Amino acid sequence: MSNPSKKVINTICPYCGVGCGIGLQVSDGTVTGVEPLPQHPVSQGMLCVKGWSSAFALDPYDRIKTPLIKENGHFRPASWSEAYQLIVDSFQAIKQEHGPNALGLIACARATNEDCYAAQKFARTVLGTHNIDHCARICHSPSVAGLRQTLGSGAMTNSIDDIEKADLLVIFGCDPTENHSVLGGRMIQAQQAGTKLLVVDPRKTRLAKLADLHLQLNLGTNIALINGLINIIFSNGWEDKTFIEERCENIDALRKKVAGYPPKRVAEITGVPVDQLHAAAKMYSQSERTFLAYGMGITQYTSGTNNVIAISNLTLVTGQIGREGTGINPLRGQNNVQGACDMGALPNVFPGYQEALDATSQEKFGTAWKCEIPQQKGLTSLGMTSEALNGRFQGMIIMGEDPVVTDPDQNHVLRALEALDMLVVVELVMTETAKVADVILPAAAFAEKDGTFTNCERRVQRVRAAIPPPGDAKTDWQILGELAKLLGYDGMQWPNAEAVFDELAQLTPLYQGMSYDKLELDNGLQWPCNDATPDGTKLLHSGQFSRGKGRLIPVDHTDPAEMPDSDYPLYLTTTRLHYHYGCGSMTRKSPLLERETPSGVLFIHPDDARKLSIQAGTLLRISSRRGEVETRAVVTDDLPPGTVAMPYHFKEAPSNLLTNTAQDPVTKMPELKACAVKIEVVTEQ
Amino acid sequence: MKSYLLDSLENLFQHLAVSHKMFEPQSIPGSEDLHWLPSPKGPTSRYGTSKQVLPLAPAKGFLFPERELLFRFDGQTFIETLPEVAPQVLFGLQSCDLCAIAYQDQFFRQDSYYLARRKATILVGFDCLTPCDGGFCSTVDAGPFVRDGSADLILHPKGNEWLLIPASEQGLNAIQTLNLPPAPAEWRAEREQQQAEVAKMFPTDSHIRTGIERINQATISAEQWQRLGLQCLTCSGCTSLCPTCSCFTTFDTKTEGESNTFVRERCWDSCLYEAFQRETSGHNPSKEAGERLQRYWFHKFSDHYVDEFGRYGCIGCGRCEETCPGGIGVHSIMRRLEKES
Repeated sequence: MSNPSKKVINTICPYCGVGCGIGLQVSDGTVTGVEPLPQHPVSQGMLCVKGWSSAFALDPYDRIKTPLIKENGHFRPASWSEAYQLIVDSFQAIKQEHGPNALGLIACARATNEDCYAAQKFARTVLGTHNIDHCARICHSPSVAGLRQTLGSGAMTNSIDDIEKADLLVIFGCDPTENHSVLGGRMIQAQQAGTKLLVVDPRKTRLAKLADLHLQLNLGTNIALINGLINIIFSNGWEDKTFIEERCENIDALRKKVAGYPPKRVAEITGVPVDQLHAAAKMYSQSERTFLAYGMGITQYTSGTNNVIAISNLTLVTGQIGREGTGINPLRGQNNVQGACDMGALPNVFPGYQEALDATSQEKFGTAWKCEIPQQKGLTSLGMTSEALNGRFQGMIIMGEDPVVTDPDQNHVLRALEALDMLVVVELVMTETAKVADVILPAAAFAEKDGTFTNCERRVQRVRAAIPPPGDAKTDWQILGELAKLLGYDGMQWPNAEAVFDELAQLTPLYQGMSYDKLELDNGLQWPCNDATPDGTKLLHSGQFSRGKGRLIPVDHTDPAEMPDSDYPLYLTTTRLHYHYGCGSMTRKSPLLERETPSGVLFIHPDDARKLSIQAGTLLRISSRRGEVETRAVVTDDLPPGTVAMPYHFKEAPSNLLTNTAQDPVTKMPELKACAVKIEVVTEQ
Repeated sequence: MKSYLLDSLENLFQHLAVSHKMFEPQSIPGSEDLHWLPSPKGPTSRYGTSKQVLPLAPAKGFLFPERELLFRFDGQTFIETLPEVAPQVLFGLQSCDLCAIAYQDQFFRQDSYYLARRKATILVGFDCLTPCDGGFCSTVDAGPFVRDGSADLILHPKGNEWLLIPASEQGLNAIQTLNLPPAPAEWRAEREQQQAEVAKMFPTDSHIRTGIERINQATISAEQWQRLGLQCLTCSGCTSLCPTCSCFTTFDTKTEGESNTFVRERCWDSCLYEAFQRETSGHNPSKEAGERLQRYWFHKFSDHYVDEFGRYGCIGCGRCEETCPGGIGVHSIMRRLEKES
């Protein structure tokens, strides 16, 4: 009988930076389900609930299948050529009238390296601006900035395998069992096998409940806590003197700074008792190998970069870095946020973190791309929206991100996007951001294209097309290549994804030794991969730091920009739920995931709930100085009294109507983890 | 039933392939992991005496797909959409997975969607001569040799030849025109003897036996379940890969571009989801993860279900152990129950 059309395509899960191997079951041109891959080095036969549900994300029913042009407030289908022409005319007019810096592009951390490389090349060559950014701005830009200053490289220093090699796991400001479940699961399994677990988080997370020690610090007091730990370490002589001597600089300044953080003062600021501080300092410094992982509870503050520097100080003075099983590991949020950064989808760097305004880099890329490299500093995503409101920024392309839901202060973002002359959104489905676009272009999803993702342990892995894109949809790099040609630039006409990869590998020293053929072997390669390390690099900074010596930089505790007061008496922090991912545009298509949680919730401590006569399910109005939102209560002592939390996934109850745009001065990271709110019960009829 | 001597698997395979779509576990490029896939070219070389490897995803989806269309509603009438399934052969099933299919046959005995697929399917089972990693089929009466009545054709390696046992009417019909010689008379008895020997090759199963006892005697406290429940990340991997798990939910999707027309589908559900049993009022009889975990393992190992299904809900494949990110798959949890009793 004839050969039935059923196959399994070996690819990478589209959710989160862990980068699990996933087998897509394909029947008659449809992805019908998924299978875990036992031999994948990261996931080892495991998947999380999002991975198991990923086939639903590909359902064609609500996909955008043709270009759409907005006319009189409504979208109508259009041909590619008509849509392109509209964009070309508008962008050329904007460029002529306002110059190239009135244009910009937001790339996407969910897209492939090939897409992200094409996006930044398009901005720098075709538009002629460094106005290129993506959502790393609101997740790990402080990691990139902070660790580059102290170590010289802003990625996970270790590999995921090192979890099993550590004696102590320290989880700082994140819950990997919710957001990086397979990695979080490996932490649980390591603990079961005897590894100690220390959790630092204002919330009683799952790992906090399992931990040997949980420091439940007050919101926004990371630096005070870490300085306090270093103070105790110095007082007890627990630092690694040889390591400091041989591999670090600026120790005296740090000693002086942390002397101002005696345990009693730190206990007052952080709310963590002195004996717990003492125990944690001892555990951390005296363990043979400490694997430290951190997340948004470190970065999403106005003190984000300093928080990262403080973490770096702690690891450096104890020598807990540069060996297997011990180091600093920022857990990257999205499937390819590491890659999007590596590809230079950032205003200040070319691919491979080569400085955008450095003369040598400019010459290198100007020659390779046969163009004039712009000289003016580029804008961040929030810079672009602010300039739009100031009338100095008119045209923008957003590739697959949904800033209306995911960026702080929704009203600000909406006003800015509406102020643009031309907003082009390249998307799978009609997101809240797509709704305000002038032109929408249909994009191919992860299962519909070839390419690569880079996971949080710097592993570059092949993504393979399982099915064709629906309707007229195309990959990002194809769309940008076609637009580039119409705008007069011929340097983006690639025949396939592999050709894009070959070009980017040549220009990105970290990727130089990679090719699709080499990536096929052994499930990808970890950067840096070049002539010196042809098999990739599992461990960074083993002999010396990327920048030479590890730099200790004294930093001070600062309060969040907005503290609770008599008008807005509660702290609001934003969180993620295990079941959902970003704006929910993919996960919310699964009936199982959608059933699991209501469309928006507010978590509140029983003490606060009692004071306000709130019960489980009570409808609430939450207001901040920026906006208000209604949602229902979940009463839980997982949070400390005085702090409430909302997930940011739900357009029905967008926490980002409330959040603060106050920013980290270095990276412009907005303070998503802390702002002040008040809560009222809404009377229901 | 009579049994036959088969000198070449290839012959049997090609014979069945004339009138059936053939599926068997195979690896795909870039990985050695096994997946159930169409096999146009004939049997792989993994059968016989080589070490047994189970595909991590069982053949469950052939009969009870992860998603299945149930009916359309065109605005006026409901239109049933029973699957049309061409005759197919699942070639290379191990005994554990065959026991699971027999279990599902009972659960879905009145389900017309399942039956449409099941009736079109011939099951070809192989005796396992060695234990697989993590498998404990012999502990739960699901292997290592294929149970009578669970397959249509049973294959047992005999050196370079095969003992072929037609184990159903359908199986017998399928090989009738092959005109195979009868197998030597003593082979059946030798097979019985060998099964006992292979069963002895399995590693210790004391933790499984203790765990089953504790589950049935209800000596596990709510607090202990709650502690274990903390490790459940609600991934649904255990229920997705468990070959006997059969829970599903339904959902409706509006047909694109048309008003008032819908399709209803069903998809695999998981009793580990918090919302699995949540009622409209918000009341939930198994709100805590520990309670859900307790129910899951009760369904796999309770004597109650032996009355209904003739066996435990667990067939000893060990897939949950392999896929559980939280470290509470069958071996881990049973070891904890043994240790913490």
